[in-house]
Amino acid sequence: MKNAVTLVKKAWSFRLKIFLLTSFILALLPALTQNYYILEILIFANIYSIFGASWDILGGVTGIFSLGQALFFGVAAYMSGALNLFLGLPPWMTIPIGGAFGVIVGSVVAVPSLRLKNEYFAIASLIFPSILTGIISMYPELTGGEVEIYGLAPISGDIVVTYYSSLLLMLVSIYVLVKILNSRIGLIFRSIRDDKETAEASGIDTTKYKFLAFAISGFFAGIAGGFQAHLLMSVGLFVFDPFYSLQAMVNAALGGMGTIVGAIGGSYLMSFLNEALRSIAQFRVLVYALVMILVFRYLPGGIIRLLAKRYRISLETWSGLKKLRRRENDAIHS
Amino acid sequence: MQSILEINGLCRRFGGIQAVDDFSLDIKEGEILGLIGPNGAGKTTLFNLITGFVKPDSGTVFFKKKNITKLKPHKIANMGIARTFQQTKPFKSMLAVENVAVSLMSKRAKESKNGSDALEIALKALERVEVIPPESNMFKLGSQLSHGYTKRLDIARALALEPEILLLDEPFGGLGFKEMSIMNKVIQKLHDEGITIVIIEHKMRELMKLAERLTVMHFGAKIAEGPPREVAKNEKVCEAYLGKEGGNLFA
Repeated sequence: MKNAVTLVKKAWSFRLKIFLLTSFILALLPALTQNYYILEILIFANIYSIFGASWDILGGVTGIFSLGQALFFGVAAYMSGALNLFLGLPPWMTIPIGGAFGVIVGSVVAVPSLRLKNEYFAIASLIFPSILTGIISMYPELTGGEVEIYGLAPISGDIVVTYYSSLLLMLVSIYVLVKILNSRIGLIFRSIRDDKETAEASGIDTTKYKFLAFAISGFFAGIAGGFQAHLLMSVGLFVFDPFYSLQAMVNAALGGMGTIVGAIGGSYLMSFLNEALRSIAQFRVLVYALVMILVFRYLPGGIIRLLAKRYRISLETWSGLKKLRRRENDAIHS
Repeated sequence: MQSILEINGLCRRFGGIQAVDDFSLDIKEGEILGLIGPNGAGKTTLFNLITGFVKPDSGTVFFKKKNITKLKPHKIANMGIARTFQQTKPFKSMLAVENVAVSLMSKRAKESKNGSDALEIALKALERVEVIPPESNMFKLGSQLSHGYTKRLDIARALALEPEILLLDEPFGGLGFKEMSIMNKVIQKLHDEGITIVIIEHKMRELMKLAERLTVMHFGAKIAEGPPREVAKNEKVCEAYLGKEGGNLFA
């Protein structure tokens, strides 16, 4: 019994430590450098951490591989842009509303996923962003068509403020997603990933929870998309680029699929790799694909699991197990 | 004894094969019913039909006078009909205790646990299937558990639903000698608790110890039913298992 308790305890304290340490380092960074270039890279890393984690809750945790995550990202970017330009809403309102549109799109996309097996859904999901690209091109008066829309309000005029906004948004998003992962909802998501039939035999309404997974994923992808739109102060068809979908997946996989927090590590690593490869920008997709293959072959658990393994802990644990601590304490005191 | 589950004229065809053919059966409250038949007789398909994983072409299933024929699997599970799988499919990346906890997130379990802690119930469910001490295996991942253990884990997961009927698909399949006696003890205990149990099994010696009544399936249809001793002597049954001449071997 003692081993089990220490195992669980370790898992929680380890996770908390990593989270606090990461937050601390990232919060202190602007004190070290106020270099516009570096901070901008970090801001993008923060956005793609949220985006990667949004993919992870659907793909890594629930086991529904979406190869078209850019759909949620792009729709939210367009909606945030439209709300800002046409109604004059400030970013702090347009970004969450963009996330809400991510939820709506997610719920629509969830419908075919109920009928298709995971492999086939993955193939189908590749097409979704292209459909949106087509629709937007069809109504250029309203959407700008193939021309990018400029003139969105920036997050802030000050790069340091923008950096802190992105950091706060990222930490809150990851915290919420990790909470979900370890809650009873996360337990059910994981059971659907492992075996849908057994989950159903256990009385779980898998349809309902699949919708929920899509909605959560759509929301956080949407937030990332909205934030990027305001950061770039422009929206265009590029937001539906398959490269964005690939990026979400690679970030999550490199960090550790199904762990949520892994997406931060993956995103930061890939962002710096991206910058290092700026001189050969045309090969970026190739590099991403290569990373993907190498990770799947040699590090299927991702970087964060490599760390976790040393401490012999699991990164996804139902929080109900925490009560073991209390049980043990009671046993000692009685 | 009162009927708890009534199956009337159930049919299901897969392509050219009539997997279940006009099958009717009354399951009595609190009994242990053995369901036997040669490979491919349609036993597992019958379980799938009862639990909603496969929809019947025709026929009805009534559970406590309620029609459950076209309901979804999770709805049926939430009514109190729990099943295990022949090929046990534990949640591989989850701890054993988490495996059981999944059932506790169902509607039925949430209603019946009245505020008591999910972890406690999960641990109790593991104890009920003789996982003692529960600690030794409880914190292993589903993929690290032995075959015998996953068989009992599957039952614990079903038990967490507080079922009225338990459908066990080959609970003794692939078990060692010692594990078989534990399984026997577990099933007997659940029977004593008043749970209605239906067992599909090929290991006749184990089934004879448990079952009060046997139903024999062949090519999707029922060919015999009754107390184990009578069924064992039934000509049709011997024929189904051993062929026409084989039946004569016993004559």
